[in-house]
Amino acid sequence: MPFEELVKRGEYVWEVPEDAAPRMRVPGRIFLSEVLMKYLERGAIQQVANVATLPGIQKWSLAMPDVHTGYGFPIGGVAAFDVNEGVISPGGVGFDINCGTRLLVTTLFKEEIEPTINELTTALFDTIPSGLGSKGQLRLSEKELDGAFFGGAKWAVNQGYGNSADLKHCESNGCLDGADPTKVSPLAKKRGKPQLGSLGSGNHFLEIQYVDRIFDRTAADLFGLKEQQVAIMLHSGSRGAGHQICTDYLKMFQAASRKYSIELPDRQLACVPADSQEARDYFSAMAAAANYAWTNRQVMSYWVRDVLEQKFNTTVTLVYDVAHNIAKLEKHVIDGSRKEVYVHRKGATRAFDNDASYGIEQPVLIPGSMGTASYVLHGTKKAMSTSFGSTCHGAGRILSRKAARRSLTWKGVTEGLQRKHIALKTDDLSSVPEEAPEAYKPIDEVIDVVAKLGISEAVARLAPMGVIKG
Amino acid sequence: MLCDSGMQKYEFLEHTADVTFKAYGRDLNELFENAAEALEDTMVLLNEIALNEILTIEVASDSYENLLYDWLSELLITFEVERFAVKKCFVRIVGFSLTAYCLGERLGPNRHKLNEEVKAVTYHNLAVTKNDVYHTEVTLDV
Repeated sequence: MPFEELVKRGEYVWEVPEDAAPRMRVPGRIFLSEVLMKYLERGAIQQVANVATLPGIQKWSLAMPDVHTGYGFPIGGVAAFDVNEGVISPGGVGFDINCGTRLLVTTLFKEEIEPTINELTTALFDTIPSGLGSKGQLRLSEKELDGAFFGGAKWAVNQGYGNSADLKHCESNGCLDGADPTKVSPLAKKRGKPQLGSLGSGNHFLEIQYVDRIFDRTAADLFGLKEQQVAIMLHSGSRGAGHQICTDYLKMFQAASRKYSIELPDRQLACVPADSQEARDYFSAMAAAANYAWTNRQVMSYWVRDVLEQKFNTTVTLVYDVAHNIAKLEKHVIDGSRKEVYVHRKGATRAFDNDASYGIEQPVLIPGSMGTASYVLHGTKKAMSTSFGSTCHGAGRILSRKAARRSLTWKGVTEGLQRKHIALKTDDLSSVPEEAPEAYKPIDEVIDVVAKLGISEAVARLAPMGVIKG
Repeated sequence: MLCDSGMQKYEFLEHTADVTFKAYGRDLNELFENAAEALEDTMVLLNEIALNEILTIEVASDSYENLLYDWLSELLITFEVERFAVKKCFVRIVGFSLTAYCLGERLGPNRHKLNEEVKAVTYHNLAVTKNDVYHTEVTLDV
């Protein structure tokens, strides 16, 4: 046991006791197997403890099995705050507000696209702007940008970038209520305006995948997933708009935290009382950024459809779209009574036990690292009582970008993909090692933990055929 | 990266998800200049940047830490919105106000090697301290 302060509370539950760090109000809980324990960093435990010091936190400061050190909150962090006594913290959402994952399925099967996978990957790469400082093809007026901030995917569908079924299959129907573009700074608008409809860089990607295994046939049928079926997965967020909104409010909250006498173990955790004007303003701006992100993924889906429908006789359907950096007002049963809380998910996915999109449990999308499997799961009742209806969001990094570049070469990683017959397109080959499987925890183990813990259940596994690395 | 005097200007530390650097300076002006270079170095291959344009940046704040955050955030915005990469800058700090003359060039398509897309500067462990020299530690979200 490398970390003596951790107390085992169940097969996959490790507690950070309330006395592990000064001023903790609740214990921390980290969900890990013995295998994943070896990747746990002291910095991540410290960050779980730091979050536990924030006013109004309920039950536990949580970390999912893909946890790793972030700034402020750990990545994989989940915390719920009382609507009256609690706080809202922009650092608990992060800079890439509503960074999230979207899955589209086609009516094509693996063998139909296999012979032309390189051409298809290239065609998608040429159509969807990606990479460092990527800009979208849309030329928006101020009014149109406000429309996206206000209406999210609904705005995009109204503009012709999709259909109403898409909205039904998005978390929150692709639009958070309460968004107010007047709470978004001119600078955030300036950063966001040219980038709408672009993937971005780093770990953002578009993958052509196929369903290689089905675990839950009933749910898979409802979600429209068949074995060998070709799917497209997108991972992107709110681009410069979200980054600037978080920057603006974090700066504002440095002074505001002092005004409200909130003691902070890390300035990145700057926060304000949930019922303050400052919190309402941030929430309205954050909702605008979340809506921008849903618009972004919706617009990119339109181009994906365009490319696929031109090349093949197929229709492309949206399976689901989930956020993994967001704060939401939700109702949860806490100590026997149902109450409203602001749930912050920083690198964690909502995993509710019911959802209107398919009339069963909510679909959950978990991408693996480049060249490895991704998963479709669904939420559970257990998640509602264990993790405020949340689960992991990916494999979780283990190597820093610098260490990945040092220990792996782009040539080696690219050859590894070629051996698995996975096509790769990127405008920056030198960054390829940063997203290699060796830089991440094993996705299958992470999924195994959330499934055995019962906070999600596996529906299907998807394997990559073509990767566009942002 | 070393100064003319042989003192280290900045160094990158390990951070699982993001980029953390330590910057040094014999005085605050130099500390802020070196931190700026570390940020630009994260975003672009600095060797390829010419010194063909000068830009003046002014920021004011209420502490050295906040001034550093505002200064680096301003450089990030200049890079992303104005597409202007700073190779060398001259910083003058009076009180908690900063004036900087920034030399560099506008980024052209496919003309420069970009490194990481920096999303934002964070407040994580942000501190400006002085032992023999001034130093700071900054984490960037990439």
